[in-house]
Amino acid sequence: MRKFFPVEDLARDERFNQITMNDRMADQRTAITTDSRPSRAANRIVPSRGDASDAARGLMHGIFVGEIQALEGAGRTCWDFTTGEEAPFELKLDMARQCWDEARHVEISIKLSDWMGSEIGEYAENTVLFQAACSNDPVLRLAGVNRALEGLAIDVFTTMKEFGEVAGDQYLEFAEDWMLADEVTHVKMGSDWLRKITENDPERRKKALDFQSVVDKLFSYGGTRSESQESPIGLARRFRELAGFDDQEIDVIADLSLAALEERKAAVLEAQAAHN
Amino acid sequence: MADAKKPRAPFAPWDRRELPGLFSVEESARRVGAYKWCELKLFEALGGWIATVPELDVKMRLGAHCYKHAWHAELWHKRLPELREMNPDRLSVAPNEDMVSFIAALTEPEAPELTIEKLVGVYRVFIPHFISAYTFHLNNTSDITDAPTMRSLRFILQDEFEDWRDGEMLIQSLIETPAEVDRAAAHQARLEKILLAAGGITGSGTIGFNSPKHEGVMA
Repeated sequence: MRKFFPVEDLARDERFNQITMNDRMADQRTAITTDSRPSRAANRIVPSRGDASDAARGLMHGIFVGEIQALEGAGRTCWDFTTGEEAPFELKLDMARQCWDEARHVEISIKLSDWMGSEIGEYAENTVLFQAACSNDPVLRLAGVNRALEGLAIDVFTTMKEFGEVAGDQYLEFAEDWMLADEVTHVKMGSDWLRKITENDPERRKKALDFQSVVDKLFSYGGTRSESQESPIGLARRFRELAGFDDQEIDVIADLSLAALEERKAAVLEAQAAHN
Repeated sequence: MADAKKPRAPFAPWDRRELPGLFSVEESARRVGAYKWCELKLFEALGGWIATVPELDVKMRLGAHCYKHAWHAELWHKRLPELREMNPDRLSVAPNEDMVSFIAALTEPEAPELTIEKLVGVYRVFIPHFISAYTFHLNNTSDITDAPTMRSLRFILQDEFEDWRDGEMLIQSLIETPAEVDRAAAHQARLEKILLAAGGITGSGTIGFNSPKHEGVMA
């Protein structure tokens, strides 16, 4: 088995349809809408939204495939680096623990998807999450996956938990809360290892944090996640604090996400103007 | 309640624990170091394979089992200093070159259509050998002096038996044709031959037979 596994080779059964971020952005239906209707002032996934059920099902499928890729990413970190030389033994133990957690999250997501009335493969699988786990530096993987991706997972699970709470769906709320607990652990794991490994290597730490910033912006999906009600997913400040983010770091992500939202809105207006 | 001051036998009639055991401190540490190395190699491989198998149920099972073997490696890592090995890395090594070759052959399959080979290597070859090595250790070490190792062995054996059953059921569910039976058997035989040369998880004498005079072992 080779070291460093390319995203194109991720193994799936025939139900899955994989797309890259480029595919997604190139798709006129999802990238830049030409719909001339005024956009909603509030896009947050809440039960009162007209398309709440579909939106929640789509998001749950996104969680499901994201968990598969997180599982695969953590597993590859166990394999890709030589123990002791390229990655500490204890870091690998944490990654193995994460494998188990992510495997359970895949199981939970399948049960929840079924509960919400959707099927495996009903939505496309964006493979951008695994791409963040392909760096040849384990510290960059921790920054990209554990801090950025798992940080996003905290935001997503908080939004879904609140959705379940407001909708009176205790099954959903219960499961999301358990997954949220694991994700806080994973983000903290990433924060702790990042600080430990780069303690005497400020250049490597800066490189890792820069990479995290790139991934954070990418995972903002053009404003899908921000503190604005125009974003479907909110920013979970309290749980991020528990996971080891300080206020300044959370503010940076908040600003970055908001900027991504504004960029997207400007792009939509431009596309609509060109269309009309 | 009997008289609290009345002398009692230090070992109750039902307590059959004995001194000594088969292993010296050094031999026990050597074996534990080999266990750690093998468990490490196994959890690394299981983690690496997750992305390569298309079967969703297998993918998830590998994730769960990856952690179990990492936990076993961690238990052995922590046991080594208690056996006077203050540099655990020194003994965290393959027992011999044949075992290195075995790991190379075990981890060779990568293609998505080779799930049977991946699972056969782990669940029909490697894990049964772990069970043998751990059982031999458990049954031959001193119940008293090496009790901490025995406690870990019991926890770990519980995992190994469960994983063995999980893996075997996955293999049986994947094999659908006589040709696939042959494929599984051929791969198993290939790996078993390498492991035969290695002498087992801890090298020659892993389960008592073919031991080179049990060096460092108490008679």
